[in-house]
Amino acid sequence: MTPRVEALHRRRPRSRLVRWSMLALLAIAVWSWTSGDIDVADLLSARRLENLRSFLRDDAQPYPFHDHPFAWSTLASWAGGLLASRGISGSIQTLAISVVAITLSAIGAAFLAPLAARNLAASRPFAPYSGPARAVAGRERARAAAWRALTTATRAVLVFLRAIPEYIWAFLFLAMLGPSAWPAVLALGIHNAGILGKLGAETVENLEAAPLRSLRWLGSSRLAIALFAVAPLALTRFLLYFFYRFETCVREATVLGLLGVVSLGYWIQDARARHFYDEMLFFVVLGALIVLAGDVLSAVARAFLRRAT
Amino acid sequence: MGLEARATLRRPFAIGRRGFVVLAIVLCAVAALVVLDAPFRALLPQRGGFAIVRAFFAAMFHPAIGYETAVPAGTPPLFAEALAAARRTVVFAAAAMSLAIVAGLVLGFFASTAWWRDPAVGGAGARRRGRRALAGTVWAATRVLIVGMRSVHELLWAVIFLAAFGLNTASAVLAIAIPYAGTLAKVFSEMIDEAPRDSAIAMQAAGAGAAQAFCFGLLPRALPDMCAYSFYRFECAVRSSAVLGFFGFPTLGYSISAAFENLHYSEVWTYLDVLAVLVVAIEIWSGSLRRRFVA
Repeated sequence: MTPRVEALHRRRPRSRLVRWSMLALLAIAVWSWTSGDIDVADLLSARRLENLRSFLRDDAQPYPFHDHPFAWSTLASWAGGLLASRGISGSIQTLAISVVAITLSAIGAAFLAPLAARNLAASRPFAPYSGPARAVAGRERARAAAWRALTTATRAVLVFLRAIPEYIWAFLFLAMLGPSAWPAVLALGIHNAGILGKLGAETVENLEAAPLRSLRWLGSSRLAIALFAVAPLALTRFLLYFFYRFETCVREATVLGLLGVVSLGYWIQDARARHFYDEMLFFVVLGALIVLAGDVLSAVARAFLRRAT
Repeated sequence: MGLEARATLRRPFAIGRRGFVVLAIVLCAVAALVVLDAPFRALLPQRGGFAIVRAFFAAMFHPAIGYETAVPAGTPPLFAEALAAARRTVVFAAAAMSLAIVAGLVLGFFASTAWWRDPAVGGAGARRRGRRALAGTVWAATRVLIVGMRSVHELLWAVIFLAAFGLNTASAVLAIAIPYAGTLAKVFSEMIDEAPRDSAIAMQAAGAGAAQAFCFGLLPRALPDMCAYSFYRFECAVRSSAVLGFFGFPTLGYSISAAFENLHYSEVWTYLDVLAVLVVAIEIWSGSLRRRFVA
């Protein structure tokens, strides 16, 4: 019995890549703490701790309690005042920005994803059988190369769009377009178009090939397959991804306000600039509630979709 | 047949669930556009904005090799500076992830139902009534904690820490680590709960204790997914760490904002390209690892 277990143990699947990657990651983690870039001692120094103490004692307290004893009614009227003056409008703006942005990015991705899918955007989409290597005419080869170039270029664009974080896109757009909601919408839309485009292309590539191939055999054009077979087959998956990205959109929309777009983040930044840290914390908590609402909405929509046939 | 006929009768507009969802999205988007009240005119660059746009995108094709203006003697070359910023970006992300993974494992364990609630896999808590109540309380408390940690964005944690401590590099690490630990805990707990339980049940049937069955029967089945997801979050952490630079921490975001404010657009593109290469390299690495893990 024992030798067989040992033999099995020896033949277990092993991957050099995984092993070396794990070692490398461990090394990076250790190096990150020992490189001297992270100053833990400073965080625990007496000065920092005194800062923290005064922050918690004075700044973080809602200001009515500085000279009044704690009472729920005072707290409620303080919070109600903040909600009525800025909180509610800021929350609605945050949600509106994220809804418009994710819809724009879905539209963009719907155009980019088919171009990035290697099975659809090929010179012979869903070719039934590539067959043994045969003499390919020069024109045919050029066409294949052109399609490959198209998918590669689209993928490169998608990679770049999503490699730059939303916050940086928003920073750049804000400088160019000036203050309005558009820089935030465009930044979220562009970054997420890169992500949804990639996920959409993967969805199209992972579709079951047989039905699509048989359509091709029956003489359907590429466009017809894309519109009437690929799109309906990929839609559920795509919508699931859509809602998953919507959650992150709400999170990011809150934060982009820090740059000066009127979402909740704007009021966080505003309170911070005036050193009203009690208000700042209030809006942070409100932002967390909005994020939570977005998560719940997305979870409900995804559960609804999972039951779709 | 009869069933099918009734189903069509009950649904006057045969658009189905997905059609309904798409319709709802479109309506919401239109409503949001109205609420947003952002004139389409504002999509065009403002006065002076055109010049910025032109200069900025013209610089896209020739990122700076050296500094655009004279710098004090002894300043390291631009490329070295960009690499140093990239190194610090990775350092912050890696330090944050090392904290987040440990915290995420602990919290994820307490937030999973497999150990606490499922008598089949059999945590000690699942068997006796008194312990079950305690286990339920711990589970609920962990869930609430996780939600609180991950609902606040890392930049907002950073803003809070800036207010509480002042500018300090370790607080940047904490700012990333807290929400990431929450997200990892949530996903880890789901992965533990969704992992196949057959090995754990078989081990218990053969006489293994609950802890043994959990550690050697259940956890290994979830481990590949957990590793793949952690690596994906590392990729996200690098991006977050870059963005923290906008708040004064010495990562790529700091270089980008400084160069942009000095109108050194070619330098901005150098930093953007370094960031893109860094992120893409990690993405390729993590993608190839993921294929090993999941396949």
